[in-house]
Amino acid sequence: MDILHNLFYGFTVALQPMNLLFCFFGTVLGTLIGVLPGIGPIGTISMLLPATFHMSPTSAIIMLAGIYYGAMYGGSTTSILVNIPGEAASVVTCLDGYEMAKRGRAGAALGIAAFGSFIAGTLGIVGLMIFAAPLARFALRFGSPEYFGLLLLGLTLVTYLSRGSIVKALMMGAFGLILSCVGLDSIQASPRMTFDIMELWDGVGLVPVAMGLFGISEVLMNIEKTESTDILKTKIKSFFPNLSDWMRSIWPIVRGTVLGFFLGILPGGNPVIASFLSYGLEKRISKHPEEFGKGAIEGVAGPESANNSATSGGFIPLFTLGIPSNITMALMFGALLIHGMRPGPFLVKDHADLFWGVISSMYIGNVMLLILNLPLIPLWVQVLKVPYRILFPLILLFCIVGSYSLNNSTFDVMVMMVFGLLGYLFKKFEFEAAPLILAFVLGPMFETNLRQSLLLSKGSFLIFVNRPISAVFIGVSFILFITALLPNFKKAKEKYESSVQDD
Amino acid sequence: MNRRDLLAGLFWLAISLFVVVQSVKSDLGSLHSPGPGFLPFWSAVVLGTLSIILVVTTSLRKKWEGKLVDLWRGLDWLRVIWVLLSLFMYPILLPITGYLITTFMLIGFLLFIGVRSKVWIDVASALAITVISYVIFSVLLDVKLPKGIFGL
Repeated sequence: MDILHNLFYGFTVALQPMNLLFCFFGTVLGTLIGVLPGIGPIGTISMLLPATFHMSPTSAIIMLAGIYYGAMYGGSTTSILVNIPGEAASVVTCLDGYEMAKRGRAGAALGIAAFGSFIAGTLGIVGLMIFAAPLARFALRFGSPEYFGLLLLGLTLVTYLSRGSIVKALMMGAFGLILSCVGLDSIQASPRMTFDIMELWDGVGLVPVAMGLFGISEVLMNIEKTESTDILKTKIKSFFPNLSDWMRSIWPIVRGTVLGFFLGILPGGNPVIASFLSYGLEKRISKHPEEFGKGAIEGVAGPESANNSATSGGFIPLFTLGIPSNITMALMFGALLIHGMRPGPFLVKDHADLFWGVISSMYIGNVMLLILNLPLIPLWVQVLKVPYRILFPLILLFCIVGSYSLNNSTFDVMVMMVFGLLGYLFKKFEFEAAPLILAFVLGPMFETNLRQSLLLSKGSFLIFVNRPISAVFIGVSFILFITALLPNFKKAKEKYESSVQDD
Repeated sequence: MNRRDLLAGLFWLAISLFVVVQSVKSDLGSLHSPGPGFLPFWSAVVLGTLSIILVVTTSLRKKWEGKLVDLWRGLDWLRVIWVLLSLFMYPILLPITGYLITTFMLIGFLLFIGVRSKVWIDVASALAITVISYVIFSVLLDVKLPKGIFGL
């Protein structure tokens, strides 16, 4: 009953005209950037962070969440029609979605992607509603050592956010921590690494750093390419899948939803991994695995459901424990901090309007997406025809004005440019920016809780092991760290053995 | 591992040494009472150690793969340089020439190097984008954009 009462309260918040408007704006913008290759939810959320300063925190998070799950819907459109994933989470949809389109079944593919996303998104929100509040109540028992353990667990995610070298991911994490230390120290208020630059006393801003690393660098990577996009010329007859399509898709949708939701909660789990695992699972258990890659509708239904429910799952660790499980959640974390709210158990308790309002808005957003997405597909196809060389000056201008408007200072613009160049070079040298941002966001709290705990224990690290909750977190961090390292050790061993055989 | 990893490892090693020096200057404190330099110092030590691991593992490989120039082979790298130059010039010129003139020049330039169309189309598009963005940001969103020495 409590959940229903809270949900009803959440709807009264989400249905306020301004929140409804921002939900609509977020979902439409999310779909748009999901459709457009070359700009994703991370870049867009980074760019829009300054714009949220003028909004209420609830409206801001409703809009940013809308962009995130809207992009998951939009991403499938380009995968199916153009064979170019608008979003990384829709890469796998290309395999069968595009094949279906080539056989004149684009409508059914787009339809099942939209319906599957809707069902998964809605069920994911139900899961979020059930699990989040009890977890937050438990987290209210935490003191500094427990928070330190939890934040250490969060920082361990650095190893899971990396798709490449784990050494490079850890290096980026360490650099993120260093970067978070720039400015006045939170306990003694003495300046660190400010080099007599007044603007650095407040530290390096999350917004210019994120905009540079994700927005500017992405543009630089795209403009050096010279390829063009071919849009499949096919007539879309009906977006409603037939009975046979539904029979084949319903279980992949259910499996994708459950898989995606729990992967979203797990450290480093994100919609991209969820969609790939769902595809692998469907292919493995299918009676006709040979059809996969040649236009099997299960290959669209499963992954599209998984990536949507993973977005809902990702909100659980953010809202209840204050731990972002992926990079988009790290930006949401930053957005909450900017609005003076600390993500974690107190958020659910002290800002119930925000927590339940956002959850309820996600229900509304999912309905909006379903209603909007199908009739607007011809419009999204037209949008795809806008050449990137016209789009990129607008993206850059938006980034520039966004970072300038933070403090009406060109210093922030310069910081953004520097991180744009760094982000571009990181991509070239195969260093990923995600671990950097995660460590940068968690850094200040990590430092405060570490130093407070050491002050409490008079310098003894045993305080982290003697307290059961913090001991569990540290133990889990250790296990996660080791399990992340194991595949690398195996790879190194195999390489060594093969080189010995070659010699 | 390849040549670019070696270069990257040396770069991060230099950064970590720099941060170690800066952290010591800011007071490390003690375990009983950690100072402002405590976390940056240990983070830099971790960064430095990982950089050494990267450099050593790269150097130990007999076969060199991946030249630095390969990163830009077949790509329009000149366009990236032009865009970067114009972007870095923008915040320098902004307080002097003001939002309208600087943005017009930037967008015009970006369109010029991106779209191979007629100059007057680039100029007209840049003008339209500048004016529309000014209306959105300054008039509607009330962002205080710099007017520069010309008062524009």
